[in-house]
Amino acid sequence: MEKKVITLSVNGVEYELYINPKTLLVEAIRDHIGLTGTKRGCETVSCGACTVMIDDMAVKSCSVLAIQADGRKITTSEGLEKNGELAPIQKAFLDEGSYQCGFCTSGMLMSSEALLRENPTPTEEQIREGIEGNICRCTGYNSIVRAVAAVAKGKYAEVKS
Amino acid sequence: MNKYTVINPHEPFRVLNTHVHNIDGIAKVTGRATYTFDVKLPGMLYGKILRSPHPHAKIVNIDFSKAMEIPGVIGVVTGKDTLGVKQGIWRRYNDLCDEQVLPIEKVRYIGEPVAAVAAVTEEIAEKALDYIEVEYEELPATFEPLDAIKKDAPEIHEGFERNINVTRHIEWGEVEEAFEEADYIREDWFKCGGQHHMCMETRAAVASYTPEGKLTVWTSTQSAYYHQALLAGVLGLKEGNVRVLAPYVGGGFGGKFELDAAQFCASVLSMKLYKPVKIIFTREEDFIASKRRTPMFYYTRTGVKKDGTFCAREAKVFTNGGAYTGMGATALYLTGFFHSFPYRWKGYRYDGYRVYTNTLPSTSMRGFGAPQAMWCSEQQIEWIAADLGLDPIEMRRKNSHHEGYIVPGQATIASCGIDQCYDEIRKWIDGKGKLPANRAIGLSACGFMSGGIFNWFDSPYSFSSAVVTVNNDGTVELHVGAQDIGQGSNTTMAIICAEALGVKVEDVKVHSGDTDHCPADLGAWGSRQTLMTGNATKMAAESAKKQLLEFAYAGAGLNIVYDLDIKDGWVHAIARPERGEPFVDLVKRATRGKDGQRIVGRGYYTPHRKGMISPAYSYMLQGVEVEVDEETGKIKLIDSMTAHDCGQPINHLGLIGQLEGAFSMAAGYGYLEYMPFEDGKMMNPNLVDYKMIKATEMPPANIAEIDTYEPEGPYGAKEAGEGLTNPTAAAIGNAIFHRFGIQMKECPVRPEMIVNALKEKAEADKGKK
Amino acid sequence: MIHDFTYLKPGTVKEALTMLADHADECKVICGGQSLLIVMRQGLVTVDYLIDLKGLDELNYIKCDDKEGLKLGATTTHRTIEKSDIIKKSYPILAAMEEKLASIQVRNWGTIGGNLAHADAAGDPAPVLISLDAKVKLGSAKGERVMTLEEFYTDLFETALGEGEIILEVQVPPMAPKSASAYQKFNLLENDQGIVAVAVTLAADNGVCKDARIVLGNAGVTPIRAKSAEKVLIGQKLTDQLFAEAGVAAAGDADPVSDIHSSAEFRKHLITVLTKRMAKQAWDQANKG
Repeated sequence: MEKKVITLSVNGVEYELYINPKTLLVEAIRDHIGLTGTKRGCETVSCGACTVMIDDMAVKSCSVLAIQADGRKITTSEGLEKNGELAPIQKAFLDEGSYQCGFCTSGMLMSSEALLRENPTPTEEQIREGIEGNICRCTGYNSIVRAVAAVAKGKYAEVKS
Repeated sequence: MNKYTVINPHEPFRVLNTHVHNIDGIAKVTGRATYTFDVKLPGMLYGKILRSPHPHAKIVNIDFSKAMEIPGVIGVVTGKDTLGVKQGIWRRYNDLCDEQVLPIEKVRYIGEPVAAVAAVTEEIAEKALDYIEVEYEELPATFEPLDAIKKDAPEIHEGFERNINVTRHIEWGEVEEAFEEADYIREDWFKCGGQHHMCMETRAAVASYTPEGKLTVWTSTQSAYYHQALLAGVLGLKEGNVRVLAPYVGGGFGGKFELDAAQFCASVLSMKLYKPVKIIFTREEDFIASKRRTPMFYYTRTGVKKDGTFCAREAKVFTNGGAYTGMGATALYLTGFFHSFPYRWKGYRYDGYRVYTNTLPSTSMRGFGAPQAMWCSEQQIEWIAADLGLDPIEMRRKNSHHEGYIVPGQATIASCGIDQCYDEIRKWIDGKGKLPANRAIGLSACGFMSGGIFNWFDSPYSFSSAVVTVNNDGTVELHVGAQDIGQGSNTTMAIICAEALGVKVEDVKVHSGDTDHCPADLGAWGSRQTLMTGNATKMAAESAKKQLLEFAYAGAGLNIVYDLDIKDGWVHAIARPERGEPFVDLVKRATRGKDGQRIVGRGYYTPHRKGMISPAYSYMLQGVEVEVDEETGKIKLIDSMTAHDCGQPINHLGLIGQLEGAFSMAAGYGYLEYMPFEDGKMMNPNLVDYKMIKATEMPPANIAEIDTYEPEGPYGAKEAGEGLTNPTAAAIGNAIFHRFGIQMKECPVRPEMIVNALKEKAEADKGKK
Repeated sequence: MIHDFTYLKPGTVKEALTMLADHADECKVICGGQSLLIVMRQGLVTVDYLIDLKGLDELNYIKCDDKEGLKLGATTTHRTIEKSDIIKKSYPILAAMEEKLASIQVRNWGTIGGNLAHADAAGDPAPVLISLDAKVKLGSAKGERVMTLEEFYTDLFETALGEGEIILEVQVPPMAPKSASAYQKFNLLENDQGIVAVAVTLAADNGVCKDARIVLGNAGVTPIRAKSAEKVLIGQKLTDQLFAEAGVAAAGDADPVSDIHSSAEFRKHLITVLTKRMAKQAWDQANKG
């Protein structure tokens, strides 16, 4: 085994990491970089709590080797807000109460955000499909669906002054 | 998508039941919220637990010398490193304290901890487990309550004849006479499955013991106080020398208030090594060794008159208790009590037997015995209505509880909105018109408690306490022992405090989850916090307000018959609201008047003279529209409506979240969350094979909120978080019954069972012809 | 925990095949790794060398023409296939199957080559592709060969891949005129793997079933061609009666196991029902087209 140097761009910041190649992306983000918003809830790529975006694409960061993401642009839940201003999806989650214990929330936000970037006006069915890979034990999902729908309807669009 | 109907106009509250964001919301949607899972301390070691592969075996010897040779392994503990205290959460009864978290002599289920190792990395700790040699002497094992109760079954705990762990008897009225009055008696046997809490955050603890003899434990808990007391008891420490901190908690659902192996093993390792130790269960460990909803065999016999008047019911229940007692003793009582709900019985008798088996221990889980009780009761009642040709809603209605009803010897019903629930659900059904042929609607009624009364934990403290401190700038510190596990109790308490004191929610900072700084509280279980901690918070805030108003009166020069009040941070005469002053001005004056002491209000609550079970009861009726594929048995939930009486709603968003969330968990219990065991081994301890509702399966969960006023609750509130776990399985069962005429007696209902039942029915129908 | 390995990242297919030849019996190939990393974490698979094909853009392509049919490079992701307009138009069943394959996250990173090589009996693409008479192009340092996907599967998690050999491409022949496919899996959650799955491709000719390919998923250790069910249909004017008969015949072709999700008997029952339904669905569509 030979350790490798990789570069991950996480939330716009470049991190150079010296890692064992078996390091999972989620481990690089949580343990090496120290961004703990991204969670882990299983060992079987089932729960979605570790969902991040690679470029604009949702992936489960427990299912990707960190080294496979070398040089890629990664966004975690910490990267949604800009200078203290919450992203529309975050505001919508607050308004709809789309979280309870909050442990799935980071992953749920990233799946929702990736969905909206790909398809800004999803149908309810598409929203449900879009978050199907994320388990939430608390909310029963409907409040999350309402939040994504509210963003899609433009409720949080920036008011141009 | 979701309708939200408010039946009664609200009181003119300023904060209560308005659209208040969860006060922990920004932390949770920005990734800032840190959980025990995220805690990292300087010099921290990582612990892993070695678990028994046998369902029942004597521990002959444990040799961990080879593990200690691995570089990076710092220490190993076994039962011999502990005081060997047999602990249990039913502390009031010695014989129900039956579990050594690291057993010394024998193991009683697959997955039971036998040793724990601490190493510099998680990976080394995990590797070290392979180098701990445990010599077992296997013992015969027994897995099902109806086997374990046999005379010649293996003995699991010494001195428990036929492995009967706990029995419960509930009875009122002249049961036999009441049966004699019945025109129709029906008896059925049911089987209710287990269910896993499946908290997104698995069991987790970080323990740090320091040379002062003080232990600090960060843990994912539903009750910091319980864990402080339980840890002190097993570790031989004073409660005051154990500090339990609950950062954000990734779900509980009834599974996180007993002592668990993460908390215990991390503490024992830390006490041996004087270093912080972190233990996080893997998902598989969480499944096989963190307890479950209690599986039950239910016999119920019900007698009714031709016109549908309920006469008598008797039930016998055998529960699969698994290896230890835990909270199972409570579930055994509550299932028997709620099996009577929400109906009036002239005679009622229940006998429950909790049987030890060599399986994962069973415990409390959201609904606490009631989902099982309703699965059986509400289906049997539907079948009786069909047998007698009666309208199932009207039959239920004529037998239901009402305000002022006394459940003999058990409870007084001070508020009850079930009657309006029947109207709401009737309206919903009528609005649907004719359903497609492959769909049907099932109903189920139930009720639930708002916190428990019986002090099995033997707490010397008030059940709930709160302290309100007013800062000189008008901001408010609220200290409570209530535990926010995602249900939003911090927000609910902030709302109550803000309403009572007359300030804004954002001016209230809630402190909870720290035994050093917050008053003792029994924590988040049994739907108790809104009522109990809510009462304590309201009392504390009102006390602070009264103290402040004394200073206001003194300066106001008002006629003695006039009253002052505070709302929205404005201190004013009620009769002349424009005359007043800002709250902060009054606070400053009062603080100076108290020689610089901050105004402090204290509140507490312990239920008194409220019967055996609970201070108040919620009521609900639920309808679920279900599609079933006749050929494959596949179930799809199409729609649902729940009419729900939780008294006065307090936390509007939180309430909707609780109701929708409970529905998803309850539906899972009805048709998905199958938890099979073979020879004591759980067969699907992972999220690939354990099936839960996902966004694609979740139907609309519409709510009709029935407002009543509960005199015992803060502002008239009662429970909302848990009761909704009770009706859904039975409602799904009843929909299947109306779709095909088949009676499903085992849950979760799986497609194969439906197809087999349809085959049997076809054969029986052929036989009849 | 995943055991340590040496990570190798080839820049070209040629380089990859050389690396494979060099470490033939001590290496494993990772592409999307959506299944592989799980079994590696469980300690079921340990390797000295892990060769990462994920970034091989050379194999990331979708080509389609009327003569040659469809060619999918092995590193093409599920999501790319699902969203490809040409696939939606020419092989709608493939796009529809992909849409219900696990979660979006898994489809975003997982690849068609990785999925097929993993050889999970409950995998979605294999039954559909076999019903479409797909072939796989395999490559090693020694050269290339093409075989039918049907022959590719030899046992549970076993394939015909030789030492140092990988999947390079999936080849799907053009759809015959008046033909259509249908695929259904039976599961409890919408995007789960099938407890069983049935893929049917039928070709019609003047109201007669000219050709039928029926493939059962998770009904045995490999995808199973339900040949006796096909025989029931081929050469016939299809009726509900024949669809039902084909269903019964398909169950006879199946060799399912009992597990916690279903008894073997119920799996056979489900195959009967799904084969009947999918055959009818494919037939109705074929006659429309």
